[in-house]
Amino acid sequence: MITRLARHQEPLIFWGMGVLLIATALLPLLWPMTELLRLPEGLGKVLATLGTGRMWALLGRSVALAAGITFIACLLGIPLGLLLARTDVVGARVILLLHAFPLFLPPFLLALGWFYLFGHQGLLGEAATAGLMFGEFGLVSVLALALAPIVTLLVALGLWGADPGLEEAARTVAGPWRVATRILLPAAWPGIALGAIVVFALALSELGVPMFLRVDVYPAAVFARLGGIDYAPGEALALALPLIPIALLLLAAERRLSGRRSFAVLGLRTGSRNPLPLGRWRAAASAACWLVAAVSIAPLASLALRAQQGNGFAAVPDWIGNSLTNSLLAGGLAATGIVIIGFVVGHGVARRRTGATVLDALAVLAFVTPAVILGIGLIALWNRPALAFVYGSIGMIVVGYIGRYAVVGLRTLTTVIAQSSPHLEESAAAAGAGYWRRLTRIVAPLHWRGVFAAWLLALVFCLRDLETAVLFYPPGGEPLTVRIFTLEANGPEAVVAALAVVQTAVTAAALALGGALLGRRSAP
Amino acid sequence: MWQAIGILDDMKRIHTISILGILLVILAGCSQQSGQEVVVYTSVDQVFSEPVFRAFERASGVRVRAVYDTEEAKSTGVLNRLIAEADNPRADVFWSGDPVRPFVLVDRGLIEPYVSPQAQAIPSDFKAADGTWTGFAARARVLLVNRERLGDRDLPRSVRDLADPQWKGEAAIANPLFGTTTIHAAAWFSAWGEEDAKAFLTALKDNQVRIASSNGEVKRLVASGEVTFGLTDTDDAFVALQSGAPVEVVYPDQEGLGTLLMPTTVVKIRGGPNPEPARQLIDYLLSAEVEGLMAESAAHMPLRPDAPHPEHIRAASALRAMQVDYARVAAQMQNIQPWLRTWAGL
Amino acid sequence: MNPAIELCDVTLRYGNQPVLEGLSLSVRQGDVLALLGPSGCGKSTLLRLILGFIAPAQGHLRLDGAVVSGEGRVLQPPEARRLAVVFQDLALWPHLTVQENLAFGLAAQKIPTQEREQRIAHMLARVGLGEKATRYPGDLSGGERQRVAIARALVLEPRAVLLDEPLANVDVALKAELLGLFREVLKEREVTTVYVSHDLSEAMALGARAAVLETGRLVQHGSFDDLRSAPATPFVQALVNNAAWKNIQVEPDGADRVADDLPER
Repeated sequence: MITRLARHQEPLIFWGMGVLLIATALLPLLWPMTELLRLPEGLGKVLATLGTGRMWALLGRSVALAAGITFIACLLGIPLGLLLARTDVVGARVILLLHAFPLFLPPFLLALGWFYLFGHQGLLGEAATAGLMFGEFGLVSVLALALAPIVTLLVALGLWGADPGLEEAARTVAGPWRVATRILLPAAWPGIALGAIVVFALALSELGVPMFLRVDVYPAAVFARLGGIDYAPGEALALALPLIPIALLLLAAERRLSGRRSFAVLGLRTGSRNPLPLGRWRAAASAACWLVAAVSIAPLASLALRAQQGNGFAAVPDWIGNSLTNSLLAGGLAATGIVIIGFVVGHGVARRRTGATVLDALAVLAFVTPAVILGIGLIALWNRPALAFVYGSIGMIVVGYIGRYAVVGLRTLTTVIAQSSPHLEESAAAAGAGYWRRLTRIVAPLHWRGVFAAWLLALVFCLRDLETAVLFYPPGGEPLTVRIFTLEANGPEAVVAALAVVQTAVTAAALALGGALLGRRSAP
Repeated sequence: MWQAIGILDDMKRIHTISILGILLVILAGCSQQSGQEVVVYTSVDQVFSEPVFRAFERASGVRVRAVYDTEEAKSTGVLNRLIAEADNPRADVFWSGDPVRPFVLVDRGLIEPYVSPQAQAIPSDFKAADGTWTGFAARARVLLVNRERLGDRDLPRSVRDLADPQWKGEAAIANPLFGTTTIHAAAWFSAWGEEDAKAFLTALKDNQVRIASSNGEVKRLVASGEVTFGLTDTDDAFVALQSGAPVEVVYPDQEGLGTLLMPTTVVKIRGGPNPEPARQLIDYLLSAEVEGLMAESAAHMPLRPDAPHPEHIRAASALRAMQVDYARVAAQMQNIQPWLRTWAGL
Repeated sequence: MNPAIELCDVTLRYGNQPVLEGLSLSVRQGDVLALLGPSGCGKSTLLRLILGFIAPAQGHLRLDGAVVSGEGRVLQPPEARRLAVVFQDLALWPHLTVQENLAFGLAAQKIPTQEREQRIAHMLARVGLGEKATRYPGDLSGGERQRVAIARALVLEPRAVLLDEPLANVDVALKAELLGLFREVLKEREVTTVYVSHDLSEAMALGARAAVLETGRLVQHGSFDDLRSAPATPFVQALVNNAAWKNIQVEPDGADRVADDLPER
């Protein structure tokens, strides 16, 4: 019996994790669809709401806005990634850190920061700037800036991972400009494309910023049918339908890209190469990069300043409640779950196990689908008397985080594990080590840095989450982001700003601590 | 290079983190077990409602666990959550920031009537006799006027002035598709009848009334003198007053229909897990003390004659309130949405 | 006695592309078989099939007479086959010391600690690595790593050891030295061996019989003499020529002397 079990440990463990992933990521997505079929008002009548041109126009507008955001993010991220990864720009590493950091905060906080800067009573604000900010221009600018680091980072990672031979061979026959455009840019192409997909998905499902900036977008309209006086859950579900093909389309695009497996080499080839000399352009390029870095962190500086001016920090203890503990606890537990699932499933993807890519696609789908759908599904699935101990507790947030952000751990670990030769495991298997033993004694210790990095990344994504948890956080168990969001309405600005600074500091501390741990010894 | 001890060290650290995490969960679980608690969902801004809950906790020893929502365009979906949870209610009390949202719940049979002894002091217009819902701490829909822009002209006195050609291009209103303005529009429909209300709204357009994104935006337009007056909520109006802007608050239609009041409303959820503490909390919310607190912090008008309130806040008893059946307004609001959307050109 | 490894009419496809076609081949207990062929002929696939990482679409595989894979199914998983493998990249576990690398499989097979230590010490001494037991693979020279790899495979006392071009990336002088070592330890232990290579001279140096694969088919199987006297295909002829060009004398009865003729480092 035991040997039989041992023989089946691989499918047992793998599909055990698979089922967890399906339960947290797929079921909540499917559930609302079954609700749709059981609506009292009948499917046809509800679907009729889709017939109105108004909603299609709004959807078109939202897609156009997301496309605009993606375009600007690429316009910013591609040259920046190129310059910072491969040229002698002064202080490239620091610039990259400053530019990338805001990515780990909810975009809503950045919008708040910009508001304190350019709003009516802002530091640099007047009616004109406020008018610009509260509208499409503001939305596109704020989100493009907030999401551009995704493109920058992926381009930089792609370039660091590219075969140095290609570039060196080119440099013997061509100048830096030609090398950059003809050799480096194509090498970064998969990074650019993936970056564009991710930015588009995040921009399209973003709720906090458009609501704050009072721009009508499609997901907010769906959401309004759920929360507002305009309550119509059937309509909301029907309206959510067009978002599903879009999510599937994004998924298909992503599949096509990763089908080429260009990302197997992402990131870990860190041989030091001589940066391309920019020559007389160096000063100008450096200044431009520093300017982007400064703009990237400007909203954070503005938050800090606003908090300082209004003496907001003193009031933090009165208003923060348990939210910081809630954030860290739920985030930490979710990150742990994500890493365990991501490790097993990611290993399956890296080793091309049957079924693994399906699970991977599922995780991507849960990430690119607007969080509203996931949220409703999770309530419907989990709010039962027998499950009250989860639903009424912080465990519910953990479940939601795992479903939505499993992709973060999964992808990181897939990439990490794919770096190492499968022979390391096959030798172990031939030597008599079963699946569990191979995972725990060979793969895990071999990649502990990657595992830890995935944990950290998952934690940071959970910490920055707003739109998932806001739908079902347990009473009295709200994470910090939710508290900032709900307090923002008519709340004292300085206190809200101070809480935002706390959020920023905690994220920065987590990243710095993790970075220090990871950087302590360099890999062999 | 790989060092066995180093790896062990790091593995241990990760273990320690996860063990600490588990311990914390257990601790959190334990702390939730002890003592009585009550679960409240509210769409009253957290910045105002949370201090009320804290005060209740101190007074009663009952722990309040709250889910907050925000009004205007930013809703976090508390209503949806209450309905999604209908089969297994988690909330005991819903404290709505407006008098119409609770009717969505009433229609679905999710409300259990509770006649609080404290409700006796609330005028009968603002509560259901059977205890289905009870209103208190209200906002009013007022005209905020910029005195400088007004000059020596007479103050506008009625919401009808918004459509008066005398004020062409000089007034503002928030988008009637959202927030309290949509309630106000529904109130016109039920008070004046459909034809009259539609004609009025169309006249607003002809009169070039500025459609702002929110009541806060109306307040800003008036305070900065971009328009002469606008229709907004008392809480926004008082922010403008306190900031020292040259504005004046007019309670409209005192000689006619009366000013529209929008009480915050408390309902008891049917089958909530903590019925007794729920009654305690409702009794507390309806007390003169809480109306006083809300008047002080949120500029909400007390409905109880005995509630203390600051000088600049008018009590409901001191003005003529528009006679409305909030249940009808709630129903009307659903009906007029399609028309309002076409009106707003969306 | 049953052959240690026996492939019966094995066919394997990736999509529509046949990788192995109707392949039958057996290796007797204690024999050394060299599996030769051009790149992409299916050698490594065959090895992975024997190890149990993939299953044949048709036909079956027996180890010591028992069917372990057949008709699209892996009946016995790799970890239960008591085989050992050395890959071209050696796949030494970088996070384990030399000693721990050897101990890993023994622990997985539940060998008692005392015996484990004895076998490791003996094995390391045999390949001349007694001093390096507590080093990490990253600290070793290329030749030392090769020795660890073969020691790690042999310490398990497997029913067969599979070597997948282990010397492909090794310079000439070191290759000769290691081939000598391999031949000795394999012979001493009388362990059944499959040695994948594209170089006939290596096969001869190990005193192996040769099986030549081309596009998934077995084109010739026999001693070096058989190959030389009647090459079945131009490729076999090229293999023979290449080995001869390497100036290696081959005795008619096998390759026992070959390694002695090679220069020691």
